Amino acid sequence: MSTILWQGRPIPFHPGESLASALIRAGVLILGQAPTGQPRAVFCGIGQCQGCLVRVGGRLVEACLTPCRTGMDVFPEDGEHDV
Amino acid sequence: MMSERPVLVIGAGLAGLAAAVELARAGLQVLVADQAQAPGGAVHRQPLPGVRSVASRTQRRRWDGLMTAVQAQGARITLAMGTAFGGVDHTGAVLLTGAGARLFRPRALVLATGARERVQPRPGWTLPGVETAGSLQTRLKMLAQPPEGRVLLAGSGPLLLALGAELTRLGRPPIAIVEAGRPLARPLAALGLPLSYLTEGAGYLARLRLAGVPVLPATHLVAIRAEAGALLADLDTPTGRRSQSADRIALHDGIAPNDIGLPDCPALPMVRAGDCREALGARAALADGQAQGAALAARLLGQPMPAPAAEVIRQRAAQVLVARLHAHDGAARLAALPGDTILCRCEGRSLNDLRALGPGPTDRQLRLDGRFSMGACQGRFCAEWVARLAAPDTEKPRLGAARWPARPIAIADLLAAPDETQGDPA
Repeated sequence: MSTILWQGRPIPFHPGESLASALIRAGVLILGQAPTGQPRAVFCGIGQCQGCLVRVGGRLVEACLTPCRTGMDVFPEDGEHDV
Repeated sequence: MMSERPVLVIGAGLAGLAAAVELARAGLQVLVADQAQAPGGAVHRQPLPGVRSVASRTQRRRWDGLMTAVQAQGARITLAMGTAFGGVDHTGAVLLTGAGARLFRPRALVLATGARERVQPRPGWTLPGVETAGSLQTRLKMLAQPPEGRVLLAGSGPLLLALGAELTRLGRPPIAIVEAGRPLARPLAALGLPLSYLTEGAGYLARLRLAGVPVLPATHLVAIRAEAGALLADLDTPTGRRSQSADRIALHDGIAPNDIGLPDCPALPMVRAGDCREALGARAALADGQAQGAALAARLLGQPMPAPAAEVIRQRAAQVLVARLHAHDGAARLAALPGDTILCRCEGRSLNDLRALGPGPTDRQLRLDGRFSMGACQGRFCAEWVARLAAPDTEKPRLGAARWPARPIAIADLLAAPDETQGDPA
């Protein structure tokens, strides 16, 4: 099965699955830390709330809108960068 | 490349595609952009490759019929998936980002951005593991797989029953459905609903009852705490307060138009279609998409205006009755929330922060001093409640004027979008 890498940890995904969906199925509910200090997590699931931002290839993307690709390196959003 | 400027449709759900078909039938070129990877919108979210659909036969028939009509238009309709709408400026220039990135002036614009879910603020609603019912349902539709652990559904509205029934069918019934209203208390009034509503609702209830899922009417989920690796929900029931432990909590307090960040633009013929114009659900979205698409085509081609859609009027009446059946005093409880309850999820602004602005804060104070509705979600999840708290006697208070962008745009995306507006008569 294909995997993405969450902080280096392999997470399996179904073809076409979003980062959010694959991470939740792997038990990863906390996706980082928002500038408010609150943990980041999936909330609306359809690209409206910006709650599930993660870092891929040096930029912020919504985990719920971004499809998994094999070997994709995904990191938590640490709140250091204003969004 | 299209030889003529296309009509741009934002949203490849029922309303957007129905509008696209009508525009294409009139001979116009149509470009449909959607930020999802496949058409379907929220209601008809399609299963991933190799996953069986969890949609009902009625739902599948509705969607297949629409997709057949789209395909019949051939090259007149182009789909740009993975393509987000950034906004439209005063000159009629539209920014698309993502796979179909471009900056251009379409011939006209159809906004069919669907609904947003309404979720009332409650202590603990920002905890990981708490999401909207629609969010949970989207994953069910794509994967036909229920989430792990004990799922609690809470809030108000028919979606909770539908989602509960789907979870049950997939082998993981919710531990309870917490409904603030008393929709089953007046069965005679419910008989005024269209037959399709009644059969759908009865089917959900039968499945839930068979699985022994408790549906708790007149009950409010008032707070959530994280405790010992689980979520502990405080429920206000007609017979007193009790706690319910769960692993996942899905909240839903109805739907509203997802019309944030969508200003009108005098330089561009523009219509709104479906839930983004008026949140009336799937049945109305299809009819409204057709009606708005046909009306825009007539306007662009100088033809007589078609009659308004009778189906939309029927669905409006049905939705008024659905809302009446689910009526509850939840909104009145807003002012009684604990002061540290977060209202603005993006910037962590609380009820205390709102009160610190003093009595009768102006729009400007709410936004510039209070930072409400100024975060990355553009107020989609706080503006309604903040406006209601700030002006409790206004019937439909609004916070702020519509302004673009419709969503945060990365500078890299702005630079990456090819500018096709050069030389346009702006």
